[in-house]
Amino acid sequence: MQLTIRAVGTNVQVLSHLLAKNPENVYERKQKGHLVRFFYRVFKENEVEATIFVTPDPIELSNSRTNSYDITHYINDREFAVSSIFCSFIRNALGTALNGQPKEEYAEWVPHPFDLYVEFGPVVSSLSDKQIQELFEPLGFSVDITYGETDYTANLKDRSTARFLSLRGMKTLQDTLRQLFILIPVMDNYKHYYIDEKEIEKLQRYGEGWLEEHPKREYIYRQSLRFKELYNAMEKTEPAQEAVKQEKKVRLNDLRYEKIISLVEQQEPKTVVDFGSGEGKLTVRLGFLPGVQEILAVEPSESASLQAIRRFEKANEKSGFVQPTPMWGSLFYYDERMKGRDVIILCEVIEHIDEHRLPKAVETILHEYQPKTFIVTTPNREYNEVYNMNEALRHTDHRFEWTRTEFERWCQERNKDQAYKLQFDGAGEEHEQYGFPTQICVFTRKEEER
Amino acid sequence: MNISLPHAGIVLLIGPSNSGKSTLLKTQIDGGDIKQSEVISSDAFRVFVSDQEFMDWRGMPKDEAGYAKDEYRAISKEAFAMMDAFIEARCRLNKLSIIDATNLQPDDRKRYLHIAKKHHVPVIAVILDVSEAELLKRDAGREHPRGKRRIKQQYQTFKREKRFIKKEGYKAVYTVDSTEDLHIRRQTNPLEIDLGNGIDVIGDIHGCFDEMTALLEKLGYLKNERDLYVHPEGRMFLSLGDIMSRGPKSLEAMLFFHKHVQANLAYMIDSNHGWKIARWLEGRKVTLNHGDERVKEELDRFEERAGKEKAEETKQALKKLLLKAPSHYVVTKNSLPVLICTHAGIKDVFIGKQSPAVQDFCRYGDTDGFDEKGKPVRKDWFIGHERQTLIIWGHDPKPRPLVINNTINIDQGVVFGGELTAFRYPEKEYVSVRAAKDYAKESDNPLLEWEKNRLNPPNIAKFIHGYNVLTKELGEVHVSADIVKPAIDAVSHVTVPIEQLVYIPPTMSPTPETASAERFMEHPAEAFHYYRSNGIQTMIAEKKHMGSRAILFLFKNREASKKYTGIDSLGVIYTRTGRRFFNRNQEEELLAQLCHDLTKSGYFEKYETDFVLLDAEIMPWNVKAKELISSQYAHVAENAVLDRTRLVEKLKVSHDGQEKVKEWLEEYKQKLKNADTFKQAFQYYCWDVESMEDIQIAPFHILAHSGQTFFDQPHTWHMEMNCKLAGMSRFFVETEYKTITDEASEKEVIDWWEEITKDGHEGIVIKPEFFIAHNKEKLLQPSLKVRGKKYLHIIYGMDYLLSQNLERLKKRNTGKKQKTALKEFALGIEGVQRYVSRESLERTHECVLAVLALESDPIIDPRL
Repeated sequence: MQLTIRAVGTNVQVLSHLLAKNPENVYERKQKGHLVRFFYRVFKENEVEATIFVTPDPIELSNSRTNSYDITHYINDREFAVSSIFCSFIRNALGTALNGQPKEEYAEWVPHPFDLYVEFGPVVSSLSDKQIQELFEPLGFSVDITYGETDYTANLKDRSTARFLSLRGMKTLQDTLRQLFILIPVMDNYKHYYIDEKEIEKLQRYGEGWLEEHPKREYIYRQSLRFKELYNAMEKTEPAQEAVKQEKKVRLNDLRYEKIISLVEQQEPKTVVDFGSGEGKLTVRLGFLPGVQEILAVEPSESASLQAIRRFEKANEKSGFVQPTPMWGSLFYYDERMKGRDVIILCEVIEHIDEHRLPKAVETILHEYQPKTFIVTTPNREYNEVYNMNEALRHTDHRFEWTRTEFERWCQERNKDQAYKLQFDGAGEEHEQYGFPTQICVFTRKEEER
Repeated sequence: MNISLPHAGIVLLIGPSNSGKSTLLKTQIDGGDIKQSEVISSDAFRVFVSDQEFMDWRGMPKDEAGYAKDEYRAISKEAFAMMDAFIEARCRLNKLSIIDATNLQPDDRKRYLHIAKKHHVPVIAVILDVSEAELLKRDAGREHPRGKRRIKQQYQTFKREKRFIKKEGYKAVYTVDSTEDLHIRRQTNPLEIDLGNGIDVIGDIHGCFDEMTALLEKLGYLKNERDLYVHPEGRMFLSLGDIMSRGPKSLEAMLFFHKHVQANLAYMIDSNHGWKIARWLEGRKVTLNHGDERVKEELDRFEERAGKEKAEETKQALKKLLLKAPSHYVVTKNSLPVLICTHAGIKDVFIGKQSPAVQDFCRYGDTDGFDEKGKPVRKDWFIGHERQTLIIWGHDPKPRPLVINNTINIDQGVVFGGELTAFRYPEKEYVSVRAAKDYAKESDNPLLEWEKNRLNPPNIAKFIHGYNVLTKELGEVHVSADIVKPAIDAVSHVTVPIEQLVYIPPTMSPTPETASAERFMEHPAEAFHYYRSNGIQTMIAEKKHMGSRAILFLFKNREASKKYTGIDSLGVIYTRTGRRFFNRNQEEELLAQLCHDLTKSGYFEKYETDFVLLDAEIMPWNVKAKELISSQYAHVAENAVLDRTRLVEKLKVSHDGQEKVKEWLEEYKQKLKNADTFKQAFQYYCWDVESMEDIQIAPFHILAHSGQTFFDQPHTWHMEMNCKLAGMSRFFVETEYKTITDEASEKEVIDWWEEITKDGHEGIVIKPEFFIAHNKEKLLQPSLKVRGKKYLHIIYGMDYLLSQNLERLKKRNTGKKQKTALKEFALGIEGVQRYVSRESLERTHECVLAVLALESDPIIDPRL
């Protein structure tokens, strides 16, 4: 992690006073085991070049962080990349310049623009070159970006993920440094460091006088404040198209739940199992079905279960709600608690399971648990035409999506011993040619009818 | 007169004071026939608790006498309570206790009968019948006379009680009127038999006479001129019972054992069918079913042939044989029990004891009511077995010998078309003969039931709250609920199906100590030291490949896979976290190739196996880890090189006179070199893979074939097998290895290690000669990795060798890693052994799931 400042022209030697660094000496300070170093490479009348860099202690660096059980914790880019930690390391050394408070006799040079060259890096960022340019060009810099080497013997990657930035502009030293102190963390792919509130305040102070005008202001704020909002997550921007799709999906989800609820209602069940209940959106609706006495919400994911529990608690405030029992379970194990229930539902679950693992799981349901009614739903692949999706599947985790014929054949195969009566149905807006977006099969146990 | 004392239990001496009990015992102790410690005297216990043996209140003033009486009563109460506890302890331990007290009160005797029953030991009574006159005479002559009144009283009681004693339920009652000419004989424990020249324990025969004789011949028994099977080395055979019923030749089997037991060539123990037949032969009313009716049919036919008289004689002989059969046998070596043989089960507290309760348990095992079909619900009695002695049992047919908690079931259901198994002791080997056919033809053939249920999904309730796995190598291994859940989640979402997930390789520890050699983090010397100091003389050093760990489960054909896993495929290849190694198409292509190659080379025929389970490394590294390499290692290398190159450039042309800057320059030149080393280090393990042809598989353990595991083989055997595999398929590559026996070979290995790791090779693995190694009781690390200097750059960072870093890094602690490695090792072996024994999926899965769970435990430093 390094930063080089070079200026050419007249009076450039005054920079040593603005930086408060004696050109006769090198500067070296230890900070939490890491070395902050500063030296002048050139100090001439018309040219001054100084570099500040940090020699981190890699062991100290890895000791201070969590996630230590991951090997990537020990081998990572943090000891090289310019980042917020780099900024905090060098802030003291550059304090005078950042604050624009040199000895009084040099104060007049603080607002003086120099022909400045600034080089720093490596930069590790998910931003494209263009996006990086868009950060610096509005500030009066021209931007030059160079890449690291990828001369590997095997074809490992197309382009390096290490970049070095060179900026040039007629700028004051203070503005330049302040802008770097904000934009370096903005560009960096944040990984491990937590930045406290005080640091954020400082970042805001450095933005005074230029950040408000910056065309990418929103983005800069968001990136800077993401640390604070870390636990609120949701900082990703959704492109417009994505949003439309999202909306469509929400609508279909609702229609599907409504359909399932009506199918369940017909069975007048006392006990219902929602297998793979996720965040409990369907489960919570089941809780309002009259006559239902017990609902099992089976979900192996801890975070989804927590959301489901919050949802159930909220619903519990309303009257006539039967609070579902959250349960930790799996389709691939035998679970006595599932036995002899009235209805078992697999709502949009099977397509998340490798196809070859399904038959046995369903066999356990149909022949061991023996619900009176078994409801299974899955996307209808044919309907993807309506969404203009070509070959794509509706979700990245979908292991398959079936046509109606495929689904029907699969269901029939599960019922080889004819213990159940099968009824096919659908949910969502029906298309004349492609059918429903969601296909449903209701298995009804025959002996219960006799 | 002769008195025969049982080897253990209670001997009640019954008689008033002065009847000569103590005198009798003293004579016997002096004669050496009984031990002082076997005699439990109430007088002695009075002394223990109160310092006085006797209190005399005759002639005392009334108030004082009252106190003395109370005191004496209280002392007696305490003394008897202590004494009873003492006797109970001795009964528990199967020792003999001779009770020296008057035992005149029926309640006292009842108490001892109860204690004996509770601890399954016999009680005998020895009545000392001395006349009243003699008693009084003796009393007058002793130091502390009890007094006439008391003696007379006791004699009255004795006379009254004497009549009832015989009916109180003693194993024997002796009445002694004169202690002269009295001989005590000590019996040995009839359940104990000496190992002698070896014993061959045979599972349930069920009238499969032909298979039985075939088995005896296979075991080396020779038929002599008297039609007796005799082993030339003097071995004996022992039947676990159920020699009859269900099968075709029950009568022959019973006559065979009758003859051999009589001739002291064989042993046979009691069993459920044997007991039923015995009672039927006794003329009791029993319902002959479950194949017992066939015994009657055979005997009826015999009667038709041989006549009523001969038949009756035979029946009497067989009845005697069956009724005499003990509940179990304790085989001893140097008088110490080494092997317990029982039919259906035994509790540890029953071992070496015989009582109706013990006999019942040994015949039927631990049963818990009946199921809807009227079959007994069997409880797993073996869970409670805590003693070190091995128990062999039968009764409950399993397809393969079931080794569980230091017990072995050797009923392989010969009568159901399975096998007749013999267990050779002390060799601990199995010898078996396959049944000619299914004789029983039961609709619910237990072997078929077993097979049908084998692949049932595991019961989640057994795991979800945390559980223990009982391993042969390490005892109980605990898995807590918090690490089980993520493992179940993984199994439900990302691993290959449970049916194929039979083994997860254990983690491997580096050397417990870091290198004492300077400028090294790890060095082979520390691995040698670990094994040497644990008594291992011969070691093996194997080259450690740097690729990705993989388990290859390869089947002979699709039918075999279906049979073993229920899945239509040629097998599966998965990673050390249980995920499919390749995508489906690649996997299918590779499996087809491997199957073709192995079949062509006759592998499956030669080793008579349906599958082979291999532990291997698949190269190159980037096949599986490209994403990690590119986003982590390559990424870090690029950043480091870029950063350091720039700095070196800057520092080089600094203006003169700044010594510090020169120092920095030197420092960064070195660091740039480190970065370059790092960049080379991981590239050494990567090459472009255009097609499957570019993939290399280096197997290093042959874990299992369909009939056996190979954990008992030395590593040289595994290496030789791998060499053979490499000759069979171009995908397989050999692993270089060296054997270490002395200093010279240690030196050779160190040189070799230095040489190969200089090129960037990952390192070597040092293992003890045998797969499983112990130092006394302690299980040793099955292997230790010694990674190369260059390779460790990608583990400990590019600058790890700088002395200020190395010094600190050397302070690592491998304790937890070692413990986990041992646990996972024991679990891995256990799981594969269970799988090969065709145990239920649940039993194999509990081992696999445990390893997955332990691997998800975040406490271990991933750099180890």
